[in-house]
Amino acid sequence: MFANLVDGIFWDVALWVFAIGVLWRILSIFRVRNKPDYSEPRGSGFAGAVGANLRRFIPRSEMITRTRLQVVAGYLFHLGLFALLLFAAPHVLFIEAQTGLGWMPMPYWAFIVAAQLSFIGLMLLWIHRVMHPVTRLISDADDHVAALLTFIVMLTGCMALIEQFDGLRVFHRFTVELLMVYFPFSRLMHAFMFIPSRAFTGAWFGRRGVKA
Amino acid sequence: MSSSKRSRIRHHRMVVFSLLSLLVLTLVLPLIPHAVAELGESTGRVANPGTELWRDVRQRDRSIVGATQVKGVDSGVLINVHGEDWRQFRMQQLIPYGAALMGIVLSVILLFYLVRGPLRMQGGASGKKIQRFNVFERTTHWFTVGIFWLLALTGLVLLYGRFVLIPLLGPDGFGLTASACKEAHNLFGPMFLVAILMLFVTFVKDNFYVRGDFTWLLKGGGLLGGGHVSAGRFNAGEKIWFWIAVSGGMVLCVTGLILDFAVLGQGREVMALSHVLHGIVALVVITVSFGHIYLGTAGVEGTLSSMTTGNVDEAWAKSHHDRWYAEVKAAAADADETEPGGVASPAGEG
Amino acid sequence: MARMKFLCDAERCIECNACVTACKNENDVPWGVNRRRVVTINDGSPGERSMSVACMHCSDAPCAAVCPVDCFYFTDDGVVLHDKDICIGCGYCFYACPFGAPQFPQDGVFGQRGKMDKCTFCAGGPEADNSPEERTRYGSNRLAEGKLPLCAEMCATRSLLAGDGDTVSDIFRERVTWRGSAGMGWGWGVAYGKSGLRKGKGVDGRATGGD
Repeated sequence: MFANLVDGIFWDVALWVFAIGVLWRILSIFRVRNKPDYSEPRGSGFAGAVGANLRRFIPRSEMITRTRLQVVAGYLFHLGLFALLLFAAPHVLFIEAQTGLGWMPMPYWAFIVAAQLSFIGLMLLWIHRVMHPVTRLISDADDHVAALLTFIVMLTGCMALIEQFDGLRVFHRFTVELLMVYFPFSRLMHAFMFIPSRAFTGAWFGRRGVKA
Repeated sequence: MSSSKRSRIRHHRMVVFSLLSLLVLTLVLPLIPHAVAELGESTGRVANPGTELWRDVRQRDRSIVGATQVKGVDSGVLINVHGEDWRQFRMQQLIPYGAALMGIVLSVILLFYLVRGPLRMQGGASGKKIQRFNVFERTTHWFTVGIFWLLALTGLVLLYGRFVLIPLLGPDGFGLTASACKEAHNLFGPMFLVAILMLFVTFVKDNFYVRGDFTWLLKGGGLLGGGHVSAGRFNAGEKIWFWIAVSGGMVLCVTGLILDFAVLGQGREVMALSHVLHGIVALVVITVSFGHIYLGTAGVEGTLSSMTTGNVDEAWAKSHHDRWYAEVKAAAADADETEPGGVASPAGEG
Repeated sequence: MARMKFLCDAERCIECNACVTACKNENDVPWGVNRRRVVTINDGSPGERSMSVACMHCSDAPCAAVCPVDCFYFTDDGVVLHDKDICIGCGYCFYACPFGAPQFPQDGVFGQRGKMDKCTFCAGGPEADNSPEERTRYGSNRLAEGKLPLCAEMCATRSLLAGDGDTVSDIFRERVTWRGSAGMGWGWGVAYGKSGLRKGKGVDGRATGGD
């Protein structure tokens, strides 16, 4: 009964909320225009946008020793997550069933290693956020809920690995639906926003001839 | 005597003689083939050659290995003699004694708390703080804690769930739970290796033996009365726990990896032995961790903050780790002297 | 009540593997899974003996004792079966079984074994008798049709006996009695006398000999 809901109406609702929510938030950001800049452009805004996007993948040299853990754990988590989401065999089959688009998944052992690296990254990042007195102060419920929800999605996925009990698969899909509904209203939107955000800063300063 | 009387006497004698000889022959004649058989055996008759072979198989001293057309690890083994040993150990020893160990230790700790109560700081909290653990140390510790408890709980479900959870969840419900626990346990296992290595590297330098450790141990660390005992950054009890956790953790990782990667050609003997070590060490480390958790939370007042905020009260430091407190104060005094304007107070971020 | 048992007469087994083939064929056992195997001890030497081994359907089954999810059950005939829907593929039954009866279809890393499969005494599984689901997952259910396991039926020399324990023991006891001569009634020594072959192998004047 619950399985039918999860595979049926819950999925449709979650998908629509996610899609419309994400589009709405992206549009609402782009609708806000900044004040026109009448100064002479001293550099290319576009180059600045692209440059900032690429440069921000590595921290500035002044900060690189102090942010070692965040950088390493951050990459472990995000790269592992993308590998899992897009190249884990059960996910590839799911996407193919939903959209007709399929591609070569990674071997089983790579799936597991990606999951492990992703877990390590996520746990280190969240624990560090709570332990560091500054981030502990400035973190709000949104940050913690996002981390917890992501962890639960990954954990339920790992519990359903041998694909034997449909109940475990249904539970995983249910937590995914919760995450999808939560996504557009939370910090997780950084997944879509980071490119325009870096681009804006890079363009704004690039136009003035500054490498931001 | 008349001839008829003599013939009757002769007749009687013949009958008696016949009956007697019949009796004797009946008893003696069957002995002849027996004698022949006895003599025959001593002339070197060979026993059934199969008896030696089957005696070996039945003795169960070692697994008899033969040839077989079926390809596989251990497929040539006729009888796996270790199977029964392992079954007896897991069901009759590991499970009941493990439960008893954990139950008894938990009860002792509870009793200790009710009777002795928490250990207090000398003179009460002063309100002034110094830093004991920096961010990285605390992150490493809680990272290890998270993975350890995930593994411990899923492992305990696999060991005890059949007895405790099947009545609650039913056979299908428990099958689902056990499957989830097995997958989570197998996936998080290799991550524990990363955590233990991080823990080792982070904390090892202050966990070697120094003078005063043995004295601390003899005095029971002040746990059983007799006031506070002098200690450095880590007292002997903490050092013992560190080495138990790290060495136990390494044994768990190695045996766990052997069990997790069953495809490397290891046979049942290796797997059963790994399981035995894994089970014993896991239950021991879990049990000792109960003590560690008690002392870090309710058992010693003011300790938990060392791992959450990283800072401890100066009175706590003076009471429990006086030599470390003196070192920290001396270093802060040096820093104040050499840098006019003063560096930030010892308590804070890092 | 009948108590089902296997008995392999090692004096008769000729290692033909008909039992192995019959089982694999009848139960559609997947590639890599071997419910039954023939083990030959002292292969090539005098005193060679072969024995067909699969699940012995023990009364005090170690597999059932150690299973963390308690997926084994016993039929009225004493046949040891298991439920693949509950099995989590942990492998403990394989470590405990003296005969290596449990088999696993997958050979993966991170404890990925798939669900355990083993000899069912041709008695199927928990699904309905002789249903298509039971056939696909557990193999044939000959016992429900009143037939005995196919391995024993196909045995070329009738060395593998299967059925009610009392009946099987009676048959075996009768054979042993008839053989007499402590197993010396046949064999190389009787057939070939003092031939050069026997001299060369050092078993001259003895039947089969060699321990």
